[in-house]
Amino acid sequence: MKIIFSLSILLISIQLRANSFLDSVKRENWNGMEVVWLEDNKFPTFTAMFYFEDGAINDPFPGVMQATLDQLTSGTQKESQKEIADFFDFYGAKIRSSVTHEYNVFTVGALTKDLSPVMGKVCELFKEAQYPDKEMKSYVSRSKSQLKNLVTSHASLADRVFRKVSLENTPFESPAEGNLKSFDKLTSTLLKERLGQLNQSKKRLYITGPSDALKMKNIILKQCPWISERGHSSLEIKKPSSQSAIYLVPVPGANQAQIRIGRYMTKSETKDKNDQLAFMSGYLGGGFTSKLVQELRVKRGLTYSAGAYVSIQKDYGRTGLMTFSKNETAAEVISLIRDIFQDIANGKISEKEFKHQQGHQIGGFAFGFEEGQAFLTQLMVYDHQGRKLQELVEFPKTISQLTPQSLSQISLEALSWDKLTIVVVGDKSLEKSLSRIRPVRVLNFEDFL
Amino acid sequence: MKFWFMLFVIFSGCSSKDPAKNLSSSHLKLNVSEIKLDNGLTALVVPNSKLPIFSIQIFYKVGGKNEVPGITGASHFLEHMMFKGAKKYGKNTIDFIIEGSGGSTNAYTTNDQTVYYENLPTSELEKILDIEADRMENLLLDVDDFNKERQVVLEERKMRYENSPRGQLYLELMQSLYVGTPYGRSVIGDIPDLKSVSREQIHQYFKKFYAPNNAVIILAGDVSVGQAKKLIQEKFGKIPSSPSVEKAHQELLDKDFEPKIKGHQFISKKGESPNPLFMLAFPTYKAGHIKGYALDVLATIIGSGKSGSLINSYVLIDKPVATSVYAAHQSLEKSGFFFIGGELVKGVKLKEFDNDLLKKISGYCDSEITERNIQKVKNNYLSGLYSGLDTNAGLASFLGERQLLFGDWKFYKEELELYEKVNVEDVKNVCREVLSKPSLFISVWNMHK
Repeated sequence: MKIIFSLSILLISIQLRANSFLDSVKRENWNGMEVVWLEDNKFPTFTAMFYFEDGAINDPFPGVMQATLDQLTSGTQKESQKEIADFFDFYGAKIRSSVTHEYNVFTVGALTKDLSPVMGKVCELFKEAQYPDKEMKSYVSRSKSQLKNLVTSHASLADRVFRKVSLENTPFESPAEGNLKSFDKLTSTLLKERLGQLNQSKKRLYITGPSDALKMKNIILKQCPWISERGHSSLEIKKPSSQSAIYLVPVPGANQAQIRIGRYMTKSETKDKNDQLAFMSGYLGGGFTSKLVQELRVKRGLTYSAGAYVSIQKDYGRTGLMTFSKNETAAEVISLIRDIFQDIANGKISEKEFKHQQGHQIGGFAFGFEEGQAFLTQLMVYDHQGRKLQELVEFPKTISQLTPQSLSQISLEALSWDKLTIVVVGDKSLEKSLSRIRPVRVLNFEDFL
Repeated sequence: MKFWFMLFVIFSGCSSKDPAKNLSSSHLKLNVSEIKLDNGLTALVVPNSKLPIFSIQIFYKVGGKNEVPGITGASHFLEHMMFKGAKKYGKNTIDFIIEGSGGSTNAYTTNDQTVYYENLPTSELEKILDIEADRMENLLLDVDDFNKERQVVLEERKMRYENSPRGQLYLELMQSLYVGTPYGRSVIGDIPDLKSVSREQIHQYFKKFYAPNNAVIILAGDVSVGQAKKLIQEKFGKIPSSPSVEKAHQELLDKDFEPKIKGHQFISKKGESPNPLFMLAFPTYKAGHIKGYALDVLATIIGSGKSGSLINSYVLIDKPVATSVYAAHQSLEKSGFFFIGGELVKGVKLKEFDNDLLKKISGYCDSEITERNIQKVKNNYLSGLYSGLDTNAGLASFLGERQLLFGDWKFYKEELELYEKVNVEDVKNVCREVLSKPSLFISVWNMHK
């Protein structure tokens, strides 16, 4: 009774705070571009996140959008790569980009007093980037060399293989960052064309900082080459089919096995289920008290870490888990995970564990508002997914209304064992023990570079 | 409603158009209250009521440097065991209490310190202080948990060192540079020691170092100073101080940590990386030494950002020699070293590269140390400073580091002034000086025998 009462008080308090945070977010229209503004006077710094509704899925081949943004600072008619880099470094300004299949984000952060030169330079780059040939060649050479060395990071290699195998035959299977073959096809002309498309795509701007940060309005309207807008068209993705194999990727010198288990989800599978799926992934692998960490690490000492995730985009979603173990116990870990999934789907969920996870997610909700930029990122994701922001405020209430039965049902839908792709990166000797779980298909890691 | 914070950090003086004055004239004023108990415990409280959350960090002055052969890894092993339970709250409850309320927790161990941190809703202040006091005084060290956790630590070691060429490189560097000194041991521990260390040895280690007179508590967030003072006195006031810890620290003399390498050493280690990974290191000064600030500036000028000297010599060129390169000055409590590291492309002859790198650095001492480049570094420090203090956890970490290392959180003011005073001659002098010191070039590559 006491727990229920405390949870109710917490819910009311959190929801009131969340509403006031949402009220503090202003939306403006700058000549057709939607602007989301959050005033934050803590420090004399600003952050601007430019969201472009044009992702890697529109690339003619993998890696074009990534290269377009990576090499945005590689030179203009007036300035060399070094001069541009020196400009941003001198002001202590940070620029970075993030490319996904559905959208891209270009982020700029600097001291507010330097807003004018920094934003002016950003607009100049989007207008005048030339992608000089010699910088392109150097970029291609470095990118290929780095990718060839991916075998040194078994976890990153496992993620890359898992993406390709689990999303096979969907438009999302190729890595946004490109591959060894695609790098060779990158040219200056192509990147300039891609930048032109990006400039015409639909965009939104998310800004946080002191009110002076809004002075970027004039700079953006007068100097950035963003006029017309082309939106993203929706895709229909086929349902995932049953998986009958474990994909084993042998790598030299592996004394641990990296394990990835999961699948992609169609738009209809994730529709209106974001919060339920988030709860499920938290229950499974969000923190030290999650089911997987308790079963694999705490009770059995089989791994150092285990985590689960749900990532929902506009047209598709992904759910899965990641862990590792020594080679000798990799098969045991996979079997245990299968049993855990089946128990949850069969309703074997203890009330105590369930309530614990509710407390964890409801109590942890306030931390999402601590940093202005992190809060804006949440809003950006909601906007991208086409969700109402009121859903964000109501997250704690939604979680409080879930039941062990609803967790069981969503797990049954999302983690049906025969639909899950299993990838193991480790020693080739694993084939024998893994084949007791499912037939094993051995893949060459070089085919995924 | 505006998004105005109850400021826990007050700044002023940022209207200056001359960025040269910004570092020390940022007038970063932190509203910190100090609490000192009779048993030697120091606590710092920084109120910030923006959200109903806070961060707590407990710094213990114990790390790899305090270990002796046979019990390497004891500090880190103990860090793991601190989550396994104490007398009042029982076995494996700590994570559940913290995460069940919406909080998060973790810890880390370095050569010099062990730090525990939690981010929690305000309502949990009393409980978390009670838990921290309980485990500071009465850690269980349950035998079953101890043996299970031994396996987890061994897996973590594989993940960080044996399966990570970068981890292997860093470990080899520390072992070679600091051979025969406590910094030359592995913080996670040598495998034979991890396999043989007993519960009793860890218990003795715990009793010696986990005590109020060897700890600093930082509270940042929605916490009142009065309440914090009362609770800290109530929970920690009765815990006896360690009679042996002061002597243990006094026995660690700076001279026993000095690297003993002579001349220029060239070390090759077999690893799984197809591209050679390298580090070039020079012994320097311990944390707080005045020349350390000029060395930090030197490292940023030559090894940071896209305009850095090294990246423009080796990476952003027509035929890249490296895919990444960086420089840093590592300040430890008892010693320090300046280093350059990176990933080379296949085909680079390592001895030739080593010679070229030494020549290039020598050239940088004259060509790259300019007023403008020093100003650039200071501008970057200022924006980095603000970004690091953006969360309760960031602020707590910033204060805790200084309180533990220098015995005074206010030392940051002196540091800002020292950075601002650094001039061209200072940096040129340390640049030449560092090159005159013995050095170590170490590489990890799969082509080494």
